[in-house]
Amino acid sequence: MANDSEKPQLLVNGKRIDGRALDEIREIKIQAGILNKADGSAYLEWGNNKILAAVYGPKECIPKHDMNPYKAVIHCRYAMAPFSSLEEHGRSGPNRRSTELSKVIREVFENVIFTELYPKTAIDIFIEILQGDGGTRCAGITAASVALANAGIPMKDLVAAVAVGKIGGEVGIDFSKDEDNFGESDLPLAIAPRNNEILLLQMDGLLTKEELNKAFGMAFEAVKRINKIQSEAVRAVYKNTE
Amino acid sequence: MRIVVPGEMIADSPKEISYAYIDGDKTYSSVVGLFSEQDLRLIPLQGPYVPITEDVVVGVVEDVKFAGYNMDITSPYKGFLLAKECGREQFDLGDIVLAKVRDVDEVKNVNLIEPRKLLNGEIIEISSVKVPRVIGKKSSMLEMIKAATKCEIHVGKNGRIWIKGQNSATATRAILKIEKEAHTDGLTDRIGAFLKEQTGDINGQ
Repeated sequence: MANDSEKPQLLVNGKRIDGRALDEIREIKIQAGILNKADGSAYLEWGNNKILAAVYGPKECIPKHDMNPYKAVIHCRYAMAPFSSLEEHGRSGPNRRSTELSKVIREVFENVIFTELYPKTAIDIFIEILQGDGGTRCAGITAASVALANAGIPMKDLVAAVAVGKIGGEVGIDFSKDEDNFGESDLPLAIAPRNNEILLLQMDGLLTKEELNKAFGMAFEAVKRINKIQSEAVRAVYKNTE
Repeated sequence: MRIVVPGEMIADSPKEISYAYIDGDKTYSSVVGLFSEQDLRLIPLQGPYVPITEDVVVGVVEDVKFAGYNMDITSPYKGFLLAKECGREQFDLGDIVLAKVRDVDEVKNVNLIEPRKLLNGEIIEISSVKVPRVIGKKSSMLEMIKAATKCEIHVGKNGRIWIKGQNSATATRAILKIEKEAHTDGLTDRIGAFLKEQTGDINGQ
């Protein structure tokens, strides 16, 4: 945790460090289908986060002992580039944090992809954080979901993810790195916007029941907007030919 | 025709549509595709190739076994060509073979029959969902390309296309153009014009 003596003032007159309102998300730009060799790919810019996601498969499952005769298995790799942030993240290859995130992101997609359509195969998802500024797991899920749609893998929904939490005593959404480090609570959520099914929920810090309800409300609202940006990105691939 | 994305509602009643799923009393798309309201058809714009019976595929011999050959058919599942289906013919690693899918069993073993070795041609690979556009209605598109370029062309359902002939470069360009513009209307006319422009001077027309 960051040193309290360096703590910046997170809220001034209801506005945050970068001038956003509490319920405002950072600007999101997504481009799908940018890698030639991958079956599906996406590049996402979410505020200062820059993320590349690639999807391969369904393909032959390697290693063989991972294979499931009834459904496709999903391999997921979340990794931060050594140059992606000011901290130790990503500087020395796989670590406890990236292993955990790879696992939780894999579980998000195991619940939306129709894996039973492709028994004995594997679907590989790669999420590379090129530049990180808080909320990379949510941004990574958002990008990977576009990449999966771009690969033509059948799934129930385009998953959108966003973090909610508490800073300066108030409930807010989509925290940058400073807000995350000095804030009171952080709650990343991955949601299927079609039916508001929650696919990922982790929490740092504490929230009261009322605050949690308010945070959920904000997240459900935000994922609808993120989902719109995602579907536009997926469609754009087919619009600018000719 | 409109482009739909995964999770988008395409019918407000439960309907059996391929590449779509039913949840509650509504139907949703599961892929990126073109959906036509009139005939309730969803055509995916991208996706893996899964072999089905009667498909003609272009495979590459990947392994030679005692009982037959393992074939790469650009699918998550390998094809297997029994040696007894080959008669006297023998194949080698890397050979390009045109074959038909006899059946696919419940554990996705793909059995191939009627092999035919393809020699001295070129191979291009496109996405398998775009193959119907390359062939066209009653194979009109394919016949047009063959006639204009005088090439021998075999199109596998798996998206692998074998081309042989002097104007193979033109045929390749035409097919890649079809792949790129597969989701647009009036494609046959545009490819016709493209072929005429490319082959006009070669054929002395």
